[in-house]
Amino acid sequence: MESRKPAPSPLVDNYVVPGDVVLDLSEMNNQTIKLGAGLRQECDTIQATSAGKLRLLKPNKYWIENSQKRYIPSVEDTVLGIVVDTKPDNFLVDIKGPNLAFLPVLAFEGGTRRNIPKFEIGTLIYARVVKANSIMNPELSCMDASGKAAEFGQLKDGYMFDTSTGMSRMLLSSPTCPVLEALGKKLSFEIAVGLNGRVWVNAPAASTVILVSNAIMRSESLSGIKQRAMVENLLERLS
Amino acid sequence: MAMEHLRWRPTVNERDFIERALQSDLRVDGRHSFDFRKLKVTFGREDGSSEVQLGETHVMGYVTAQLVQPYRDRPNEGTLAIFTEFSPMADPAFEPGRPGESAIELGRVIDRGLRESRAVDMESLCVVAGKHVWSVRVDLHILDNGGNLIDAANIAALAALSTFRRPECTVGGDDGQQVTVHDPEVRDPLPLTIHHMPIAVTFAYFGEGNIVVLDPTYKEEAVMGGRMTVTVNSNGDVCAIQKAGGEGVMSSVIMQCLRIASVKAADITSKIKKAVDSYTTEKALKKVKRLPTSVPQKINVTDVIMEDKGDGELEKQTVQMPSDVQQISKGDEDHQSIKRNSPLTGDRIAKHKQTSTFIGGTSNWDPYCKGVSLSSLRLSDLPDPPTIVKMSSQEDAQPMTESSNAEVNTSSAVAAGESDESQEVGSPKSLKDAIKPKHKRKKKKSDKS
Repeated sequence: MESRKPAPSPLVDNYVVPGDVVLDLSEMNNQTIKLGAGLRQECDTIQATSAGKLRLLKPNKYWIENSQKRYIPSVEDTVLGIVVDTKPDNFLVDIKGPNLAFLPVLAFEGGTRRNIPKFEIGTLIYARVVKANSIMNPELSCMDASGKAAEFGQLKDGYMFDTSTGMSRMLLSSPTCPVLEALGKKLSFEIAVGLNGRVWVNAPAASTVILVSNAIMRSESLSGIKQRAMVENLLERLS
Repeated sequence: MAMEHLRWRPTVNERDFIERALQSDLRVDGRHSFDFRKLKVTFGREDGSSEVQLGETHVMGYVTAQLVQPYRDRPNEGTLAIFTEFSPMADPAFEPGRPGESAIELGRVIDRGLRESRAVDMESLCVVAGKHVWSVRVDLHILDNGGNLIDAANIAALAALSTFRRPECTVGGDDGQQVTVHDPEVRDPLPLTIHHMPIAVTFAYFGEGNIVVLDPTYKEEAVMGGRMTVTVNSNGDVCAIQKAGGEGVMSSVIMQCLRIASVKAADITSKIKKAVDSYTTEKALKKVKRLPTSVPQKINVTDVIMEDKGDGELEKQTVQMPSDVQQISKGDEDHQSIKRNSPLTGDRIAKHKQTSTFIGGTSNWDPYCKGVSLSSLRLSDLPDPPTIVKMSSQEDAQPMTESSNAEVNTSSAVAAGESDESQEVGSPKSLKDAIKPKHKRKKKKSDKS
């Protein structure tokens, strides 16, 4: 009912540590705000529960962005999981989280009891998190919201490596991050990035895969210009 | 299921890709087949502690020693033991508590390489044959498992052993059996005698033993068909070989591996030696510029005596420096207490203590005191005198080190007739030290002009 825009937190785009008061609700009248990872409500205040950069998506979504090796599942993230076990109803998938995730055997496009896919242990799967809460194992799906396969499913061949969650978010950011842009100009390759810090790369030549994966792994702590320089350096060595 | 979750297994994709890339002589981290990852050797604040980083692998080594009774069959040899600690922080697959299979294998391989090749001289660790020998303990802590733990741990052990210093001890007493362990402040601790450096070099075999790769990463280790660790020194002597199961390897391949290993061993030996040298030089320089705060606390530390015979003995150990006092205390033990009480000796002791614990300003300094403190003598046998002299050439560049350099200069220039200044060489810093170099430079200038 209030048309006035909510005042954004003064800490937006700054680093916060656990315990920092991000927003004071008593000053806001009747506004809805949406909280993402690393934030929680404590009486009349919104406090940070993890260290990182406070982000705001206008008009009212707040979350904290940080980089870590462990992944905390949240709904609608796309992740790369490894099949650890198969059960009659579910595949157990490791997504680097605190618990194994369940991938129902029917959560594939046109999935019925008749056509359950056969995944051996160690299969790499690109999937979407559909359920994530602290008390139950997260649940994955290999379909998008409209029930289409939409690129989800088993990833064949290629090479998978682990990075941090911050790195994979950087790879997915738009505009395209400098590493991928520089690599894409010279080489052709396939890439799948999971928000859980796993990256899969595929190309016809093994040397391309090795170059791309090493370039990505090394670029985490580099600025955009340095990333480009590093990629050019690597490409020169290859040719 | 929880255990299953902990153990890292490569995906089908990684397994296939690593093998496929190796077929065309490519490794996933861009190395060549016979390249080591980047090696970094650092040392802790104390002697005998090292930290080795081999790529992602991270190992800490720590050496300690204590006096023990020797084994019956080797009464005049010290002992060397390797202990490993695999922390679950390094790899979730390591269980806390009992050592796993890999922990035992690693300890055994390193033990075999170091002990059975007699790399560390054991006989020099003997103090009293059959009674007291030094028992050297090497603790290896795995801090991060990035593959090839054996090589990294072996380098950590060698680096720690080469910087380790054991306290000097002397045998004395009436029966010649009494062992005195000197405090490091009183007498410089001694390094171990290391005859050669046995370097472990690990090879991984893929594809029925046809593909050989040096220094495998943890991903390669998960995929490999077999592994062989060769322990060689820079002379090319093979100290140990470990090949625990896995794929069979042709003897020609093993001979090739041995040749590669001896080249790599020479390379790594020089890297370790370089790191150790720079550490000891740095340590020696630090010793010259002594911090004033550290001395008063430590000077009261008495030597540890194995068979404590009372107060008189202790006194004997603390006061060793002026030769006459030493003679007195070396006399009959029954007269100790009397002599100690006599004003002359007491005075001497007091005076001596004053010179050695000196921290104050000029007023305390007695230029005519003839007692030369041991610490000043010690300066002359610093491990690396040339470097110190080199440092002194850049005297003006660093005002902080200037005074210490000046002190070193004086110690070497005793012949030049500056015997009074050599008195307080090695004594702690004070205001007076800050002033002195200026005075010295003036002196130099006046000499020139």
